[in-house]
Amino acid sequence: MTTNFADGRMRLTVLGGYLGSGKTTWLRHQLHVGSFGPVHVIVNEAAETGVDDVLLASAAGLTLLAGGCSCCTGRQDLIAALRGLCDQRSRVASDVERLQRIVLETSGLADPGAIVAAIQGDPVLVNHIVIEQTIVVVDALHGLAQLQTEPLGRRQIGAADRLILSKTDAVDAASLMMLRATLRALNPSAPQSAAVLGAAQPLPDLPLTTQAPPLPALSDEDTRGAIFPTRLKIDESIDWSAFALWLSALLHARGDDLVRVKGVLPTPAGRLLLQTVRKVVQSPEILPAQDNPSEDGTIVFIGRGFRPEDLQKSLRRFAGVATSDR
Amino acid sequence: MCNACGNPAVPGHWTEAGADTPSDRLRARFHRAGLLDKVLRPYGLTAHDGGVVPGIQLSTLSGNQSIVPDLSAVWAEAERLLGSPIDPLDPLFLNDD
Repeated sequence: MTTNFADGRMRLTVLGGYLGSGKTTWLRHQLHVGSFGPVHVIVNEAAETGVDDVLLASAAGLTLLAGGCSCCTGRQDLIAALRGLCDQRSRVASDVERLQRIVLETSGLADPGAIVAAIQGDPVLVNHIVIEQTIVVVDALHGLAQLQTEPLGRRQIGAADRLILSKTDAVDAASLMMLRATLRALNPSAPQSAAVLGAAQPLPDLPLTTQAPPLPALSDEDTRGAIFPTRLKIDESIDWSAFALWLSALLHARGDDLVRVKGVLPTPAGRLLLQTVRKVVQSPEILPAQDNPSEDGTIVFIGRGFRPEDLQKSLRRFAGVATSDR
Repeated sequence: MCNACGNPAVPGHWTEAGADTPSDRLRARFHRAGLLDKVLRPYGLTAHDGGVVPGIQLSTLSGNQSIVPDLSAVWAEAERLLGSPIDPLDPLFLNDD
């Protein structure tokens, strides 16, 4: 973590989660044990006065953005703060150790997907910052109730690369299983882990048979149907260019209905991790070769009204890519 | 970024990932343009990438031309030229024949 990244860009971790889910507590512990290394923390609070900045004093640098959620009203402030960081960093010679990591703790009202889109849409920031991952903290105690009623809570889960369940010591095993099954139904590609006051806790494997309780439709969601995940199995011999062609067209035409796409694809340069949040595609990353590429070629689509057979047909006929049934 | 032409505005469009060496990148560009051309022809558009200047050249059959930087821009430009987006989930592609 002390070396500069080869492409010279900083890595940004977006930390999201509903109000009171334990984001700051988790981050505070991670800073204390140093799991991010030297890191600049940006804390966004929707309220006018900041409290969290006092708790996070152990970061290498800290910026507080109070009074406005950074996915909507405070977006300009966030972009300005990030540009300021890039600017400061550019004044340091590249052979000296520079700031490598930023953690953005969003307000509990923020949609991480919108923040990722804002950062990737900024012509300066894309040259300086790579969004490494989106971590979403889920309150094990209240998470299920929030997901029943809050469309925002569901959007946050959908945007996550990694889910951390907090307060797992306060719930019984059965309700934890229910919550985890629900989270898996909402976002099957995000690994789940548990933490109590920030310290990692062991989490038993979730049996595949555990069924999620059905979530009620929300009035905020439109009538086009509920968002649900679809898996698409793709051949080893897939032509990456053709796939990218198809996916870019699909995102252009149906991006609003496609909350998330995630998968690992074989390309001439190696295994490529592809992920999108709505219409925004994160810079694909080449993964190290793996002995057991079991999940390769399976692409998860989380969206509204996508049927796997339609996607397969479309991929075959539109772009000439062969898929296998699954 | 070049002050005059704005290229490259971003460090590589995502659809151009997966090619490391300059020769791979060039090969991928030709390949991509070929595939794109095949997709666009039925819509009355053609795509060409000569590999020299950045961008993909789109033309209508009446000779209207524009150069777009990447595939995302291709679909936006195609929508502008055609009046509606090219949708891979169009029943045209899904109906059983």
